[in-house]
Amino acid sequence: MQRRTLLAAAAVAPAILPAIARAQGTQKATLRLKWLAQTQFAGFYLAKARGYYEAEGIDLTINPGGPNLLTENLVATGADTFGLSGGTDSVFAAREKNLPVVCIGVSHQQTPFFFVTRADGPIRTLQDFRGKTITTWYTGANYVLLGMLAKAGLKPGDFTMQPQQVSVTPFVEGQIDVVTATKYNEFYTLMTRMGRDKLRTFVAEEQGITFPRDTLIVNETTARQKPEMVRGFLRASIKGWRDALRDQKAGVDAVMAAAPSLNRDHQEFMLVEAGKLMTAGAAAQQGLFWIDEAAIRSAHDFLREHEVIKQPIDLAKTYDGSFLAAIPAADRMA
Amino acid sequence: MRGVLGGVLLILLWEGMARGFALPSYTLPAVSEILGSIWIQRASLISGGATTLLEAVVGYGLGTTIGIGLAVLITVLPWSRTALLPVVMAVNSVPVAAYSPLVLLWFGIGVSSKIVMVTLAVGFTVFLSALAGFDRVDRRSVDLLRSFGAGQAAVLWRLRLPAALPLIAAGMRVATVRSLIVAIVTEMLGANSGLGWIIYQAVVQIDFVQVWSAIFVASAISLAFFGLIGWIERRVIFWR
Amino acid sequence: MSASLSAPAMRATGVWRHTAPVLLGLGRLVLGLAIAAAVWEGAVLAFGIRPEYLPRLSAILSTIAATPEAYAAGFLRTLLETLLGFAAGVLVGVLNGVLFLRAPVLRDMLFPIFVVSQTIPVIAFGALVVLWFGNTLLAKAVIAFYLTFFPVTVNTLLGLQSVDPRQVALLRSFGANGRQILFRLLLPTALPQIFVALRLGSSLSLVGAIVGEWFGDTTGLGVILLQAMYTEQVTVMWAAILCAALLGTGFYALVSLAERWLVFWGAEQ
Repeated sequence: MQRRTLLAAAAVAPAILPAIARAQGTQKATLRLKWLAQTQFAGFYLAKARGYYEAEGIDLTINPGGPNLLTENLVATGADTFGLSGGTDSVFAAREKNLPVVCIGVSHQQTPFFFVTRADGPIRTLQDFRGKTITTWYTGANYVLLGMLAKAGLKPGDFTMQPQQVSVTPFVEGQIDVVTATKYNEFYTLMTRMGRDKLRTFVAEEQGITFPRDTLIVNETTARQKPEMVRGFLRASIKGWRDALRDQKAGVDAVMAAAPSLNRDHQEFMLVEAGKLMTAGAAAQQGLFWIDEAAIRSAHDFLREHEVIKQPIDLAKTYDGSFLAAIPAADRMA
Repeated sequence: MRGVLGGVLLILLWEGMARGFALPSYTLPAVSEILGSIWIQRASLISGGATTLLEAVVGYGLGTTIGIGLAVLITVLPWSRTALLPVVMAVNSVPVAAYSPLVLLWFGIGVSSKIVMVTLAVGFTVFLSALAGFDRVDRRSVDLLRSFGAGQAAVLWRLRLPAALPLIAAGMRVATVRSLIVAIVTEMLGANSGLGWIIYQAVVQIDFVQVWSAIFVASAISLAFFGLIGWIERRVIFWR
Repeated sequence: MSASLSAPAMRATGVWRHTAPVLLGLGRLVLGLAIAAAVWEGAVLAFGIRPEYLPRLSAILSTIAATPEAYAAGFLRTLLETLLGFAAGVLVGVLNGVLFLRAPVLRDMLFPIFVVSQTIPVIAFGALVVLWFGNTLLAKAVIAFYLTFFPVTVNTLLGLQSVDPRQVALLRSFGANGRQILFRLLLPTALPQIFVALRLGSSLSLVGAIVGEWFGDTTGLGVILLQAMYTEQVTVMWAAILCAALLGTGFYALVSLAERWLVFWGAEQ
């Protein structure tokens, strides 16, 4: 109770503004992204540019993320209303640490990253990872890799795993054997510098592991007190994404307007890849942002098995599909 | 003694706020909770702290040497001032943080990239202080000493250095703290050990008590370093 | 007639006498930068350095020319944050210095806490800064302030303490009050020392603003830098660094100019 009083007190000043706005039929809200403006988030930018949020009575501000900014934290404290956070893994971690966040939709239905080797190199199968040097992100991707290699019969001591730095240059120059790449970002850099045919990829799904990522979250208070706003936000976001995926030029334009120093070719590629990830798996039948319970349970069990999460998480409480279900299925299809 | 009192008051205020308002640990954890966590994770914090301290101390040594050396060079060879100073100033005016991506690219994610970054940060701080100190000398005193046949080196040793010591000392003390911060910030952007790496990992795992534990350890190391350099300087300056 | 002409004329020569070395210095700076630019361009071409490590200067400049409005907007935004944080840091730093001189109790109690505060890497609690100050310009200015106020405090105090107590006693014996002693003797004497911190602070406040922009901002040189770093647009990264260099050099030059006028000119009178 006390905690809530304080949070409420801290929110008094910003709360006055929505009160005024509501009188005019709109309320202020913010969306915190997991990273800086890029076409990975094109649908949100396009929805804002085309006034879809306003039509739902939401005056939305899009706040970019950054290194060391945790979307779950900012949404839990009420600093931001909505969040596009890391993924199922970070939502589990947040719930385990008692952050009151609820996931209302999942953007990327499949693991958005894979592991890349040289096509002409000695690595042809997962077994060939033995004795090799691998770099990966210690933010969840490392467990996916460990899980994949465990299924291929390799133990942690059989290979050298290092944290991956910002740049893929060490891989391009042959200093390391395996690099981790998101399908929409690092892989583009690798392709432009080495050529697609020079690269071999290892995908988590081939080993039966799926890590849905890019999760839409709100805090429990918002979910309970303003369900109509949450639904409105989802409706507008999905509308923006449908537009962005159909008219990709408009999607890229909306993002480039916010960040003109971006490389347009890369952003076009990113939007194509983001679209593939968003319409993969169950989303193909159920529509955008679908919460695929089976995929989430499998990610949960996988992380439990590797003791990344110490306690089982109450999935029904953490992933709430009711807001999405209120939107007709036909309107959700990409 | 008063310093201790101030510190105790601050800690009591913090603890009181965290407990009184029952703040969740993702907003602000209680001091007692942080200290408990430091004790539990002492092994990893000690090894992380040792890496960061190593990077900071090596970079500090290099940076101080280069900073003072460059200031001496510019003072002894006045013509080099015109050539070097604008370039040094242009390089210095870019915030150190802006170089970190490049330095990581050039020197990798190991210890060496952090040492380079610390050397840069410390070098500029000490260079600016030393140069200001050397320039502080009254021109008439320089002319007088030179009229007795003293060379630039003698002027530097007899006149400029004693006058510059307090400023160099101040710069070196400020630089101790910067050396650790720069090491930590660079570790957060790309590393596989050190306190910055621990902080980064803890943020990703949403473990805020651990973030604060690492910050506490970093502060304690900085303070010890700051105190040590201050102590050495007091001895050296009084001795002179 | 002649009297009314001669006064401004004299003032003009006076001004010229102080601006001439500045202009000369500026000329040298331009020359130095031109040489550095030529060496840069030449070295990349001659040694065949790959653009991932160091792109050609001309490539970087044409990157800026492609979307100049993005860099201009970033430049202005970062400049504003830097200036706000710097101004606040200088004001608080000098006040702290004076306060600590007058009330040693406060100095002994607060100074260690200030030292501790400076040992905390700001980037480690970026989320807290956003939590407390929101996604505003203020949050970045606060970080710039946080990095600036400490060196100014230290140097102000050092400068004030370096005043010869006999001079203070002398002024006091002439009946000067505390404020007169502060503004006529203590602060002018401490000024050279304070300016050392201001020059340091000019670059520190820029660091603060740029790092502050890494906590989820929409515009600024720090945003461009970060974006380029993670999408491996090396030329864009260098373009942002060049803009930061321009901002930093310009700001530093302004502070040095102010120093020349306030310290050296003041000393002549």
